[in-house]
Amino acid sequence: MLSRTAEYLYWISRYMERAETTARLLDVGYRMSLFPNPSGYNNEWESVLSAAGAIEGYKNKYDTIEQKNVEDYLFFDESNPSSVYNCILNARNNALVVRTSFTPESWLAINKTYQEILNLKEKKFTKSDLPDLTEWTIEQVNLFRGSLSSLLRNDGYNFIFLGLFIERADNSARLLDVKYFVLLPKPQYVGGNIDNMQWSILLRSLSSFRAFRWAYDGNITATKIADFLVLNNNCPRSLSFCIQNIVKHLTNLTCSPLKVGRIYDNLKDLNTKIQEEKIETIVEYGLHQFVTQFIRKISSVDNEIHKEFFN
Amino acid sequence: MFNEMYQSESVIRNHYNNINDWLDQMTSKVILEKNAEAESHFRNIGITFSTNNETARERIIPFDLIPRIFTYTEWLRLERGVIQRAKALNAFLADIYNQGEIIKANIIPKEIIYKKKSFEPSMFGFSPPRDIYSPIIGIDLVRTGPNEYFVLEDNCRTPSGVSYMLENREIMMRMFPDLFHNNRVTPIDDYPTRLLQTLMSLAPIKCENPEPVCVLLTPGPLNSAYYEHSFLSDQMGIEMVESTDLFVEGKYLYMKTVDGPKRVDVVYRRIDDDFLDPLCFNPQSVIGIPGIMDVYRTGGVNICSAPGAGIADDKAIYIYVPEMIKFYLGEQPILDNVETWNCEKEQELKYVLDNINELVVKEVDGSGGYGMLIGPKSSKSYIDEFKTKLSTNPKGYIAQPLLDLSFSPTLIKNQVEGRRVDLRPFCLIGEQAQLSSGGLTRVAMNEGSFVVNSSQGGGVKDTWVLAE
Repeated sequence: MLSRTAEYLYWISRYMERAETTARLLDVGYRMSLFPNPSGYNNEWESVLSAAGAIEGYKNKYDTIEQKNVEDYLFFDESNPSSVYNCILNARNNALVVRTSFTPESWLAINKTYQEILNLKEKKFTKSDLPDLTEWTIEQVNLFRGSLSSLLRNDGYNFIFLGLFIERADNSARLLDVKYFVLLPKPQYVGGNIDNMQWSILLRSLSSFRAFRWAYDGNITATKIADFLVLNNNCPRSLSFCIQNIVKHLTNLTCSPLKVGRIYDNLKDLNTKIQEEKIETIVEYGLHQFVTQFIRKISSVDNEIHKEFFN
Repeated sequence: MFNEMYQSESVIRNHYNNINDWLDQMTSKVILEKNAEAESHFRNIGITFSTNNETARERIIPFDLIPRIFTYTEWLRLERGVIQRAKALNAFLADIYNQGEIIKANIIPKEIIYKKKSFEPSMFGFSPPRDIYSPIIGIDLVRTGPNEYFVLEDNCRTPSGVSYMLENREIMMRMFPDLFHNNRVTPIDDYPTRLLQTLMSLAPIKCENPEPVCVLLTPGPLNSAYYEHSFLSDQMGIEMVESTDLFVEGKYLYMKTVDGPKRVDVVYRRIDDDFLDPLCFNPQSVIGIPGIMDVYRTGGVNICSAPGAGIADDKAIYIYVPEMIKFYLGEQPILDNVETWNCEKEQELKYVLDNINELVVKEVDGSGGYGMLIGPKSSKSYIDEFKTKLSTNPKGYIAQPLLDLSFSPTLIKNQVEGRRVDLRPFCLIGEQAQLSSGGLTRVAMNEGSFVVNSSQGGGVKDTWVLAE
């Protein structure tokens, strides 16, 4: 497989994953905007923006944080590299180049999405369209992911999933980081309105709201949520699940065992640690520090993948 | 005028009877639906193109639902004629880059060949595998009568359009399966396999691999034929590479892969000569693979088509193709050339200027239907403009009579109307010479128009060759 092909495949799934994350964040913001805003409480759109890593770009463009502008910035704005529009555009441009390396269905899924978002972008949308837009995005990403199931299980497949899980690990970690303050250990049962909303935001934006209820009995506690999102191997968005899959797809690569070995060496400590760690220890150590280190590690693995395979 | 479907106003040619019945039972509603379906299919698969005046959105070529049909016997003659021509063109290239017999025999003046920009001096004295310079040749044909076919031009470099031939058939089979149950249409979907076999049969002398590694070299996504590049490499199961993916080391060509360097045996290049090797051709070029020409000349890789193959489809050389056929093959040409006046010659220029109202004038280096004059259809001021151009730069132009291109039934606003068509079949020459069982039919969608180029409002049709 061409190095460039591997790189493009890797990035297609990163972009598609990112499109979904951005859409889910928008959905969360939209839900929050329907609830009465408690006094003294921060505008939820701001935290949506920072979770999407778009707060700086947004503030350069707009003076105040308003729903309409946030929606437009996160969904359609061409100057926002993580807007759903840009993610889809980039994924499609990459797919155009490597369409021969995956199935016609995968190409169709991406190209149809691209054709449709061009039409959506031309239309002026109103506030109430947002749920449709986010739902549409999630549907499109699912269509793409579904199309991957018929792929040959070769290196291309593994590069696609490496990209997906690197992106997801990064997105989940950032989201946790933005919201980590609500997970600060509190001995008492947390039942306040604001906290409940905050938690539901976190879970919903990771598409894990219902899953959490399935996975844990009894009361919602900060520790349980942290455990769910950091250490639970059954949760497809948890940090440990992402790491496990990064390791799996990395070691499944048949090309260059030497290169694979070098990257794995860098990763294996984190993998072992996250599989053995107790959530209480992490919370005690400081969730923020833990997550920061995690993000740094993921970024260094990403760098190594680029250096070893794509150059 | 010749109509492909109607023998006379009321008589349908036999081989169009089924299509005529089919058309009769199609309602406007179905036509609208199927047109929309075809358009959305082409958009979804991304078979789009760009023109000189680029707009923001990619365009798709209008697709006409009514197929153009050849009988088996009609096709047999075309097949023999095209293969004959393709063989002669390759023989010509092998000759002029070596002994130059055709020049010694005073059939073609040497200055016509050696002064052309498309002649590549560095190819002199070098013979590519099997002496094949141009393994994929697209011949543009028009029809003016039941047995009258003329070759408009030869395309020996990197003819495009074969993806349309294949996709047009795919969409027709998908939309109208019954048509294919009721008609015996020769399949064309083995073209990519045959193309790959052709390329593999042209492996360079130093290739040790029983299954030579072929790649398709594309200029990149901005090229107007990019869809075709990815389509063909996909269908052939070979890598589509850009020049940055390739590099030369120690007399061999390699591509950069995740496993490290991998040797490449045959390059099916879809880029121009100028961008092949900055060391050899255009030093300003940022695309290109430094050193590839050296590897090529020492038998480490084959480049298809060969650098310098373009001289064979030069409009000034075109005039001599019938002579080539006689000279190299000892055969009479099966397909006719269009009578052509070479404005470089004083006598002929005079004739052209005197009769310009009746003629088509083309730039020698022009393509895509740009920069041409159709005398009978042009305003006086446009004709005067061309007269000046001809007088100041005669060698830049040739002239031909305006051929009465055949009409093919075409759906225009849900009505069947006659529109002019041409045909580009694709000829492959490697271990064997073969013609695609079909081709790309282009149709001038505007009433009365002679120009079939997609950049000028042309559309395409599925082309059927009926089985014996």
